Amino acid sequence: MKLPSINLRRTLLIAQRDYLGYVKTVGFWVSFCLPFLMGIILLFIASRGINVSPVRYEAVLDETGQHRAAIEALHDRSAAQELEDITRRLLEALPNDDKAQNLIGTIDEKGFVAARTQISEDYPLISAQLEKAETAASKMVIIAPPVQTIEGLKPYLRGELMSDYEGSPVKLNGVIHIYDAGSLQVDYWSANFNALDAQNLASRYFRNVATERYLAKGGLNRADYIAAHSQAVQVNSFDPTKLSGGGDEDQAVTIADRMPYFVAFGLSMYLWMSVFSGSYMLLTSMLEEKMNKLLEMMLASTRFSEIIFGKLLGIAALTLTATLPYILIGLFGIIGVIAVGDSAVGDGIISAFTPSLIGFFAVFLVLGYVFYGSLFIALGAMSESMQDAQTLTTPIMFVLMGCMFVIPLGLSTPDSPILIFASLFPLSAPFAMIVRLPSDPPLWQLAFSVAMLLIVTLGVIALSGRMFRYGVLSGAGVKGLTDWFKRRILRRQSN
Amino acid sequence: MSQIPLSLNAVSKTFHGKPAVRDVSFDISAGEIVGFLGPNGAGKTTTLRMALGLVAPDSGSVSLFGGAPEIDKAFGRIGFLPEERGLYKKQTARESIALMARLNGMGRKEAFRTADTMLETYGLGEASRKKNKDMSKGMAQKVQLLSAIAHDPEFYILDEPFSGLDPVNQQALEDMVREIAQRGRTILFSTHVMEHAERLCDRIILMAKGAKVFEGSTAQALSKAPRRLIIASQDTKLTDAVTPFAKKLELRSDGALTLTLKEKAETQSVLERCVEQEITLERFEPKAATLHDAFVALVGSDNAAGDVS
Repeated sequence: MKLPSINLRRTLLIAQRDYLGYVKTVGFWVSFCLPFLMGIILLFIASRGINVSPVRYEAVLDETGQHRAAIEALHDRSAAQELEDITRRLLEALPNDDKAQNLIGTIDEKGFVAARTQISEDYPLISAQLEKAETAASKMVIIAPPVQTIEGLKPYLRGELMSDYEGSPVKLNGVIHIYDAGSLQVDYWSANFNALDAQNLASRYFRNVATERYLAKGGLNRADYIAAHSQAVQVNSFDPTKLSGGGDEDQAVTIADRMPYFVAFGLSMYLWMSVFSGSYMLLTSMLEEKMNKLLEMMLASTRFSEIIFGKLLGIAALTLTATLPYILIGLFGIIGVIAVGDSAVGDGIISAFTPSLIGFFAVFLVLGYVFYGSLFIALGAMSESMQDAQTLTTPIMFVLMGCMFVIPLGLSTPDSPILIFASLFPLSAPFAMIVRLPSDPPLWQLAFSVAMLLIVTLGVIALSGRMFRYGVLSGAGVKGLTDWFKRRILRRQSN
Repeated sequence: MSQIPLSLNAVSKTFHGKPAVRDVSFDISAGEIVGFLGPNGAGKTTTLRMALGLVAPDSGSVSLFGGAPEIDKAFGRIGFLPEERGLYKKQTARESIALMARLNGMGRKEAFRTADTMLETYGLGEASRKKNKDMSKGMAQKVQLLSAIAHDPEFYILDEPFSGLDPVNQQALEDMVREIAQRGRTILFSTHVMEHAERLCDRIILMAKGAKVFEGSTAQALSKAPRRLIIASQDTKLTDAVTPFAKKLELRSDGALTLTLKEKAETQSVLERCVEQEITLERFEPKAATLHDAFVALVGSDNAAGDVS
């Protein structure tokens, strides 16, 4: 296998042409600014407290007269309980933070309201989450039914008549209809049947009623039952591989321990996105090149290899530029977490970026991009149209899409056999091995993965040079590819 | 400049079992304008690609500037205009020319300065900053030609440079080729339109079905063409009088006869015979031989089939 030689100046000129060819278009800058624009719009929506979904007005038509008040009380209590549960979960995620643990104690002893002000002062990110939850809770309002029959309420549900809420006309979204037809029946009527909040509220209420009746048979009540839950022993998580000064406490699993997995997952996704979008841009760039019919003229003064590497470099720079908004947003996010959020999370993120992770990320990014990029350039050269290109790239697209299903396994089951196989198989190795790195895969697997990818990438570069030459000068399309394969590969084997 | 720019020695190339070029040899000397003629499918483009090293011959050898056809050896010395035309649509004319000049070794500033000068010289000054997609086909073809030659190479290889151009632009291109030749550059251009070669070339190479069928000066080629004579008279004796001189005799739609003379027959002899037989001639026009006639004579009308005109 002979590797191509290149002239750096000509290669960089090709790269510059390809880079500027995209960057100098208005469309590119629209795409570039879009993430920032979306971020600004989202911040504006959040800062103005604009609800994405409207407030829904629900009514309870209780013909039995026994449940309406209880359902309304459950709604109010649920909203408050939900806030308390969210707060508790968020604070429990910070086991090493004494202040957070003290606040849990305050909630237990004095209630959620007593702890709320302190949370706003000490934990702005948690407070922001709570504000969102408060907004969500206020999106359902239970009002009195304007008439007392379900038939009479139907025009209101259809929007033909308006209900009244605190002197303002409002549209009635749904009605929980409770009646006795030999046994207790509950129906939920709404034209907007996909909004399930009121239906879920009613279901929860009647589940509670059933539980209370069952407990009552044994002389128990629901309040004691719930209190018993809070006395359950908490299961703590420890990692025996973690360095310890002697005590088990040092080996307790914290959010900082989990952070490397999330960071590796994020890097793997970025790598996938870069390779996918870069390869696709290379394919379209190659198709454009063929349609422009300039290649042959360039080939009188430029080597095939220089065109291929020039394109790889140019599109790599373009991909980096195009993904810059996402990188910046990610960096701002991390800085934000470190600056105003929980310090344990910030420390976890920083410590996740180990030299090993950064090094392997760089290796897999370069090899993965060159591997897929060369392949897509060759297939672009073999195509005469977008249809040709789609047909030729479909099998590779399947592999790339398959990687998307494998990458998340790194978060939950990094020892999954599929993930291990994917991290050794050259086509999926760049994405799968990165996501496995925090779980310390055996050194031989790392070496094998990199070596295999390197060998296959060198092979693809050599092969794509030949395919490129054939595609540009001799033939194209699926038939062109099969002809080339028969002539170049099968004939060689038979000789 | 003393080196022979191009030498092909018995090169052959086969695609999918079909011979595209068969045992072709020729040399191109420095400072020549050589026409590479033949119908479509004659093997001209494949031969030019082999000359540039884009396609490797199955047998035979190619020498470009005294060495193997490799980019580094011939770098900046060749200006190649391929048969397939195109430009980057979003680039301007000056950017297109400057890019190719820079790929051929010119510095950035010099490349743009050259592009501006060339566009001005060849009447495209106003289109200099126009995007290629907004230019007419003729203008775009001119820009591509300028891109191919902006670095002022020693050797120009132009594949069908006149195809697709209107008569005005064809004339402009002919003028450009003459101007380049005056500067002592070597030009090899392929065409299937014989008239351009007749007007421009010092030497021509004729190809048919992948093989070289003639190589020599235009005059030598024309001497291979059959001599024709258009002759007309009301006298019924005319046909009998001229038949001994005729290889072929055709009646024209205007009533005149087209006489294709036998190899040793002379126009003067035909005229003398008519005078001897007291035939009053209404028309006696020796018809000038064309390269097309020569080509048909050399390869036969079947082999000349294609788009030769």
